[in-house]
Amino acid sequence: MSAPVVLLPGDEVPHDRLPTKNSNPLRLGPGLRLLSQPSPKAGDSNHVLTATQAGLLTTDAKRNTVSLLSFPNRRYVPTTNDLIIAQIHHSSIDFFHCIVTPNTAHALLGQLSFEGANKKTRPMLKQGELVYARVQSVGVGAGAEVELTCVNPATGKADGGLGPLAGGMVFDVSTGMAARLIRASSASADETDPVDGLIILGELGRKLESLGGFELAVGRNGKVWVDCSNAGEGSVSVTVAIGRCLQETDQHNLHPHDQKKLVTRILRDMKLVS
Amino acid sequence: MVGPTASLSILQRADGSATYKCPATGYTILSAVNGPVELPGRRDALKPEDATVEVFVKPGTTTGGVGERAIETTLKSVLGDIVLGREKGFPRRGVVLTLNIVGGENVERGDSYLTLLPALLHAGLLAMISASIPLSMTLSAVLLGVTDSGEIVQNPSPAAAKSAVSLHVLAISSKDHLLLNQSRGRFDFDTWELIRARALSICQGAANDGDVAMGEGTNTASVNGFIRETAEDQIYSAYAHKLDSI
Repeated sequence: MSAPVVLLPGDEVPHDRLPTKNSNPLRLGPGLRLLSQPSPKAGDSNHVLTATQAGLLTTDAKRNTVSLLSFPNRRYVPTTNDLIIAQIHHSSIDFFHCIVTPNTAHALLGQLSFEGANKKTRPMLKQGELVYARVQSVGVGAGAEVELTCVNPATGKADGGLGPLAGGMVFDVSTGMAARLIRASSASADETDPVDGLIILGELGRKLESLGGFELAVGRNGKVWVDCSNAGEGSVSVTVAIGRCLQETDQHNLHPHDQKKLVTRILRDMKLVS
Repeated sequence: MVGPTASLSILQRADGSATYKCPATGYTILSAVNGPVELPGRRDALKPEDATVEVFVKPGTTTGGVGERAIETTLKSVLGDIVLGREKGFPRRGVVLTLNIVGGENVERGDSYLTLLPALLHAGLLAMISASIPLSMTLSAVLLGVTDSGEIVQNPSPAAAKSAVSLHVLAISSKDHLLLNQSRGRFDFDTWELIRARALSICQGAANDGDVAMGEGTNTASVNGFIRETAEDQIYSAYAHKLDSI
């Protein structure tokens, strides 16, 4: 593998780093744009890929994508099909108005976009309640509204645990950490090879198995919902311990080795595992 | 001469933040960016398809006044020029930049902010980079003073700036555009041409051929190279987990 390339805004993507030998069209991830440079020869223009953000250039030869990994603590900008954790702000006749990120316009979640919801029976969500939702559309043009859904419109089913989140607690993490957690949990089949150097979930799972395990939902908007109602009396302290582990790993950008130590230390501090 | 120092993403709750310290002039700036956010009231009437850049300059010991408002306008136009306000999620939203002067000599009330301008620009740019605000290019700025004897001094100290015949701030983009030119004092066109050539070599490095010169030799350390190194270091430390596995 060649040396990592870091691009700054305005830099061109080096041609030799682009995936080649693939018949699929090249797909651009966030932080990159295609510009065409007028060339001296008339009617012939050069296309260049330039970065709009600072980040680490990554390519995926199999899917023929090129993207830029930016700073992990950036603000979340809704993108279609992202899974997010939203908080209900208020409800109107047709919609729940949800908070996705602070200081931005509310996202809309249809009153009937839940599994099995119809005009007669539908979830009555109050202010402050949480939903695990998918971004359905982000609209076109300036000032467009973001629309969420808790159901797959094709099947009418709530795939992947979409819907209201009852109980538990939400912790804020950076958006980069949320993306790492999603990748790590979707590829947790073989634990021998940790994804992105994140072993904390596997470690917590092993240690807390005797206490009844825990449930986790990760939103791309930098929210992690943790619930361990199975733990009985200690459920609150288990929840807080998991949240602390995730937040400290995020803030200090811990190495896998240190993540293991952190889990042991926090669980001992909170007298959960002797 | 000691170069400037900077660190990125130091505030936990802001979307992007940076500190910038310039030892020659003694100024330290703490900056924070939030964006895209919903602005209070509708301030997008002038450019409905674009993002609005808002800049606030907070002096360390006093409340803001006329001088701060003036410099805010300048910063807004320079930084607003390089922000790509039409990217997804940005039109009709605001990018709010707060620059806090935490160290260095106070600018007297009503006095010019020219000596602080490069530090403010760099701090603002670094914060925007750390917030991943889409930018078309980066910039670098320099303060140059002309003494009685006609000598050009880079980053004069506050005392030297007071005694200088003329002071100039030039901001040059990473693609060699002249983005800002503010001057004070008496000077002629020939002097200004010299100033411009000097600023270009300081910002882009002596070789003046883009990113190739970076890191070669000691006298080619440019302001642009410094911005690049700061951002690269931060990216490398943030993605250490990814680079380990490669």
